[in-house]
Amino acid sequence: MKSEIESLLKETRAFMCLDCGKCTGACPLARQGGTYSPRMHIARMVYGYGSEVFADMDMWSCLTCGLCETNCPSNVKYTDFMSKVRVFSAGERRGGFCAHAGITHTLARMMANDGENQSRLGWVNDELKTAESGDVLYFVGCLPYFDNIFDYIKIEGTGIAKNSVELLNKLGVTPVVMKNEVCCGHDLLWSGDRDNFQKLVKKNVEAIAKTGARTIVTSCAECLRTLKVDYPQFAKFNFEVKHISEFVAEKLDGSSMKMSQFDGSITYQDPCRLGRHLKVYEPPREVLKKIPGVKLVEMRSNKDNSICCGTTHFLNCDRVSEGIRKERFSEALDTGAKTLVTACPKCQIHLKCSQSNRMQDEGVESLHITDFATMVNKHLVRN
Amino acid sequence: MADSVLVIGGGIAGIQAALNLADKGIHTYIVEKLPTIGGHMALLDKTFPTNDCSICILAPKLAECSNHDLIDILAYSEVLSVEGKEGAFKVKIKRKARYIDEEKCTGCEDCARSCPIKVSNEYNLGLNMRKAIYIPFPQSVPRIATIDASVCMHFTKGKCGVCKIKCGAGAVDYDQEDEIVELEVGSIIAASGFEVFDPKEMTEYGYGVYKDVVTSMEFERILCASGPTAGRITRPSDGKTPDRIVFVQCVGSRDPKHGRPYCSSVCCMHATKEAMLVREHDEHVETCILYTDLRAAGKGFFEYAERGKKDYGIKYIRAKPGRIVRDESSGELEVWYEDTATLKVSRMKAGMVVLATALVPSRSTAKLAETLGVELDEYGFFRSPDPLLRPVDTTRPGVFATGYCESPKDIPESVAQAGAAALRASRVVAGVTA
Amino acid sequence: MSEETPKSPPRIGVFVCHCGKNIGGVVDVPSVAKFAEGLPNVVFSTDNLYTCAEDGLTCIKDAVVKHNLNRVVVASCTPRTHAPLFMSAIEEAGLNQYLFEFVNIRDQCSWVHMKEPEKATKKAMILVEMGVRKASLLEALEEKEIAVEPSALVIGGGVAGMVAALGIADHGFQVHIVEREERLGGLIGNIEKVYPVKRAASSVISDLERAVRASPMIEVHTSSTVKDAKGYVGNYDVEIQNGGASTFHRIGAIIVATGATEFKPEGMYSYGEDGRILTQLELERQMREGKVDGVKSVAMIQCVAARGEKFTYCSKMCCSVAIKNAIELKTKQPAIDVSILYNDIQMPGEALEKVYTDAREMGIKFLRFPLKARPQVVADGGLAVRFFNESLGADDELRPDLVVLSAPLVPREGAKELSRMLKVPLGQDGFFFEAHVKLRPLDFATDGVYLCGTAHGPKGLQESISQAMGAASRALIPLSNGKVRGEAAVAFADEATCIGCGNCVKVCPYVAIDRVERNGRFVAVVNSALCKACGTCVPACPSGAMTQKSFTDSQLLEMVDAVSQEEA
Repeated sequence: MKSEIESLLKETRAFMCLDCGKCTGACPLARQGGTYSPRMHIARMVYGYGSEVFADMDMWSCLTCGLCETNCPSNVKYTDFMSKVRVFSAGERRGGFCAHAGITHTLARMMANDGENQSRLGWVNDELKTAESGDVLYFVGCLPYFDNIFDYIKIEGTGIAKNSVELLNKLGVTPVVMKNEVCCGHDLLWSGDRDNFQKLVKKNVEAIAKTGARTIVTSCAECLRTLKVDYPQFAKFNFEVKHISEFVAEKLDGSSMKMSQFDGSITYQDPCRLGRHLKVYEPPREVLKKIPGVKLVEMRSNKDNSICCGTTHFLNCDRVSEGIRKERFSEALDTGAKTLVTACPKCQIHLKCSQSNRMQDEGVESLHITDFATMVNKHLVRN
Repeated sequence: MADSVLVIGGGIAGIQAALNLADKGIHTYIVEKLPTIGGHMALLDKTFPTNDCSICILAPKLAECSNHDLIDILAYSEVLSVEGKEGAFKVKIKRKARYIDEEKCTGCEDCARSCPIKVSNEYNLGLNMRKAIYIPFPQSVPRIATIDASVCMHFTKGKCGVCKIKCGAGAVDYDQEDEIVELEVGSIIAASGFEVFDPKEMTEYGYGVYKDVVTSMEFERILCASGPTAGRITRPSDGKTPDRIVFVQCVGSRDPKHGRPYCSSVCCMHATKEAMLVREHDEHVETCILYTDLRAAGKGFFEYAERGKKDYGIKYIRAKPGRIVRDESSGELEVWYEDTATLKVSRMKAGMVVLATALVPSRSTAKLAETLGVELDEYGFFRSPDPLLRPVDTTRPGVFATGYCESPKDIPESVAQAGAAALRASRVVAGVTA
Repeated sequence: MSEETPKSPPRIGVFVCHCGKNIGGVVDVPSVAKFAEGLPNVVFSTDNLYTCAEDGLTCIKDAVVKHNLNRVVVASCTPRTHAPLFMSAIEEAGLNQYLFEFVNIRDQCSWVHMKEPEKATKKAMILVEMGVRKASLLEALEEKEIAVEPSALVIGGGVAGMVAALGIADHGFQVHIVEREERLGGLIGNIEKVYPVKRAASSVISDLERAVRASPMIEVHTSSTVKDAKGYVGNYDVEIQNGGASTFHRIGAIIVATGATEFKPEGMYSYGEDGRILTQLELERQMREGKVDGVKSVAMIQCVAARGEKFTYCSKMCCSVAIKNAIELKTKQPAIDVSILYNDIQMPGEALEKVYTDAREMGIKFLRFPLKARPQVVADGGLAVRFFNESLGADDELRPDLVVLSAPLVPREGAKELSRMLKVPLGQDGFFFEAHVKLRPLDFATDGVYLCGTAHGPKGLQESISQAMGAASRALIPLSNGKVRGEAAVAFADEATCIGCGNCVKVCPYVAIDRVERNGRFVAVVNSALCKACGTCVPACPSGAMTQKSFTDSQLLEMVDAVSQEEA
């Protein structure tokens, strides 16, 4: 155990922590007045108090948003640290409390152990062109399940998938859509459940390989990061992975395709996994700004300083998470924009949940939250 | 064998090297790219740990250089090429045209007063404006005006000409041209100093977005009696006196991610000094220094910092802020940090924030190294083949480097090391072999 | 320059400086200049924004010529930094530079009366009047030239001493190195490796020693001390003692390179109670002797006795020494557990920061404690290090096999005697105190004596070497020129009135006065080359025979008169 912890500390550069506290000063959880301190967790591990870290419930509140890591002058890999520490903690049968009675994690585990009998393509209608094999694969993620679980907050759910596929069609691409796709496993990976994650990886990689696809496109930032960064560490993975915004930006570059008019100001929520984790900030902005009439007004905390939507992997969603969202809405309203564009269905779920369900400041309910794919598809004129 | 030495850079290190050499009887040239010698030390308000007025202790040395029979100052000049070898270098220097007859100019500044063009004043770090024809600061040596042809209306549009009319000494000469001079010297000392790291990429701190977030060098000018606010501590945004000033250390230093991995060596001390000066200017202004390791190791430095705490009431908090934003309704800045001694995460309100930015080798150093044919280390400082026993040597015999451009250091260390460079340079000229 | 006091009546020019806002922000400078116009013998009075700037100096020079001034009064900042500047300006204009009076209306007026501008202005006027009254009585003075013996003495044969000696010898001057120990090398003779260059200390010493011994200009005196050094810049009579025998040498310049030594923290942190509690130097010796090979865990404690514990200062080098030793330990035995308890890590210079991060990458742990609650070491059969772990906000304890205390460098024994012998001061911390902390770190206020290395204060080897080279460069100024100019405003005893009591001889800090027999009586004679014009002898003289040029009784009484008139 000692040598495993030592490896963990070396791999995540925990020894390099100068104890400056910049991470904690930036951490959205810490700023809500809780007791969470990324620095403290690193210090405890380094000084031999790892067991305290494994037993700390607060540890599961970490959004792994990466703001600490981006700020850290010593390049301590905090998100990796958190992911690895949770494996130890899960090994001790510990975990965070999972919102919505744990249904999302349960579904993921079900898919890991038996994903063959899913009925997940009901959203594909006759107007959408899809295929069973081809160059480009559209990875749907758990949108079909979110339709059911979150219908009461009116998320765009499979609407995002439909708009994404239509968008790809307009750009001349007929994407592969798999019927036996399973959850990418993001939530299980970050909860320390490597065993089930491994199973999901195996299933997805085998299924994708069978389609002959070389490029995977997804409209979910969490799927994106998981496929691009985590899968190669668990299996042989030779696919290119892109977010829909990156794919669209590339296709529209130098193209003569037209967009229809939109009048008004919008603001954009950088997803943690697309932004800080993968450093993709400009492509979604470039594309949105191509829509005539769009005025993109940045929130006060944007790009690498962007604030997380407040909940990750459905764990420890609580008052503190709501506090984070309140601050985020405040920044959004300050921009004067009437539309907030998300680029990850999770951001949309959490923000819409807060918007519809909770006590909020005036004006929040009038903020129109929509996905990138939805908005761009609406305005891209078919050739 | 040429018996002169060329010193490149007229900051404190260059000046001290030149004085050591000239006092010893060795003829020395000082080449300085700016219109005046003095370097950054001339722009500081006070110097730690004595809190001497910087220009007050420097100006006599500037005047000494100016008056010394054996020192020739070539200001507003650049080194173009260096040929030859140790003991016999041929150096081509471009003396840039000031468009002023140096013999006639009295430094009265009537020209500057009448000039209609205003541009950002680099000597006040862009905090105020200067004219197209100008003298950098009152104690400039040489105290001769210079026309910045890139913005002067005469040169850009063929109009104006007011300065020529107003100059009582008839010193303005628009037809002046750059001059190339060739010097023969036995050895060369590079003393090209530093420049300030630009922290605008560190978006978490809001530099460049919020006017009241300034760098330490900018704040130094605000504190200085000869600066843009005549020494009154006022916020750039609204001219009001802040209730509290927060100093943030290690902005770009000890930070391989955003800036440089090394420690800039002087910032903990100059923040203490600036905070002391704030308290002297106005004891109603609170000061707080947010630091990681307080580097106060030099002679008298720790005691100085303790004085700062006890006698001046400066708050020292071991923290590095994670986020600085502006509250639009109050106009105050909010500094978010974790106090790593009390473990509390707080938001501190500040009227101004002073970022202790890293000091990096100046851009001219990179170009100079190429011209001199010497190597730089991975951070851009001059590299010595034997940093222990030959600290001021470079990779080319006969060429030496001293001061900040050799490695981060403070003024006393620069002055001491300038002596070391003078020693090495004079050896060459004295014909000492090996 | 004219050496004659002008025979014509005084024509005084007064120049009042604004010094930007330094003076002008408090004192109403134009009215002071106007006031001066009305003072006796003042024929010209003006104010300058910066009298020290080129245009200010030109203003003085022009006025001397234009108004035929034969005395100049400048009211501005401090003579310490600016007197020579103005004096050489009037010399250029043709006046003897001692026909000049400096009135300090900055440090002694505007700076200390910042909040009372009206009173400060009044005071400035009084000060200027005092200066003007004295100026009327100023005489032309000359500085004597003193020949400089072309040889140097370096006290201390450590690295700094050897480097300084080589620097001087290279330029063709004789150098004597006096080293109290049997061997050259000093402090680093006790250590293994020098960081950050990672060279063996012994090779550094042997390289330098080889060069020193090969130089025909350097004479090395080991097991020797400087028994006495009488004289003054350019003309020292030095007695070097070796055992019972003494040799005498004429010396032109002296460099103090006597180094420092590691403090032994007796009675602190249980040092001395257990053989497993060591200082860093002791650790290095044990490492060298292989006595640390079986150790599994080490805890090092920084700031022992320093930074406010027993000594006020930070010893600058202890952090890098500890980290160096930690890296050496961990390199030899990767499994060893090394913890360094610190408060603020000091790693001066560019290369050392990398050493620090290298140490962290090796897994060396750094634990922070507050200065107000330092770690406690208890030898209870084992070793316990109890401290408040500030990062965790909780009490913590380590149980290492070895505890290493990082103690500061302290001045070596004999510093006090040497300081008295050479007439150079020590600072409050016991290290030698230089002329000016910022701009003259290697000079002493006493001409002809220079300073370098850890004798100046704690520092690393690289910095000591730079300083040694710099000190050599400073010493070479009088040596190369072969002469120096002495003080002009010296004291002198009127032979007729002197009663030969010898009081002045006793009080002179520079031993500049001799009691000699002249015409059958004893009289005091001031050596004008040694005299530093401090004025201590003047009030000590019971008969009034002793006076000091530029501070004569009549001049001073005129100044007192100016003040008392105002009071009345």
